[in-house]
Amino acid sequence: MFKCQDISHLISQSMDRQLPWYIRMGIKFHVMMCRLCLRYQKQLKLIHLSFAELEKQYDTDTCHACLPEEVKNNIRKKLETP
Amino acid sequence: MAASHQLSGPETWVDTYGDYLYSFALSRVHDESTAQDLVQETLTGALKTRTGFKGKASEKTWLTSILKNKIIDFIRKKYAEPMAADINHDITDINDEFDAAGHWKTGPAQWAANPEELLAQKSFLEIVQKCLSQLPGKQAAAMSLRELDGKSTQAICKVLNISATNCWVLLHRARFLMRKCIEMNWLNHEDDK
Repeated sequence: MFKCQDISHLISQSMDRQLPWYIRMGIKFHVMMCRLCLRYQKQLKLIHLSFAELEKQYDTDTCHACLPEEVKNNIRKKLETP
Repeated sequence: MAASHQLSGPETWVDTYGDYLYSFALSRVHDESTAQDLVQETLTGALKTRTGFKGKASEKTWLTSILKNKIIDFIRKKYAEPMAADINHDITDINDEFDAAGHWKTGPAQWAANPEELLAQKSFLEIVQKCLSQLPGKQAAAMSLRELDGKSTQAICKVLNISATNCWVLLHRARFLMRKCIEMNWLNHEDDK
């Protein structure tokens, strides 16, 4: 049987690689009985999804983080075609 | 026939893409002056190579791909030294969350009744961003490459010069600490309401 500490590591690994079937079963059975590990698993998935949301924001926000004006001027000068 | 894209004049790049490229870089390197340098290198580099632009992708995509490569070069150089003590440096943080038998001491708290609602909240996403930037450097780099750029662990191993096993450990630690950081910040934020 896996301990919660092992499960937390395996849940993360399952997001990065294909785990052997018996390990996947082990995770499944564990989270069926362990409310805290189930919550951990759901929260990691939520964090994964929130990165996708963040990406969308960068694309739509007019100015998520603004490049300071002096830096812009500096770059503009460098881009002036001779 | 595939649509062919054209480049606009380089003098317009800063105004059109400057803030976007800067946000993109900043979300991955978490340092303002580094992000500014990367944008500058990207645009000046693009100026030099623009004759090679084939029009297969949009100007924005083309500039972003140049920036992505600059970011990866930056991370590679920064973490070029082989795996040092870094990997074990915050292992105690994780061990502290479990008792001697490997069970959670208190365990994750409930964040919200409905997880989908959290994703729609700007304040929640801001906390996610903040917690990513507060991770130790190598973990933040691995996490950005994995979650923001969707790189495989093999690709991340190469960039960070670590083994696959270390990569999984690094990502596990990053997620573990991020989850904890988000929980602390989010529950405080809810209390303040």
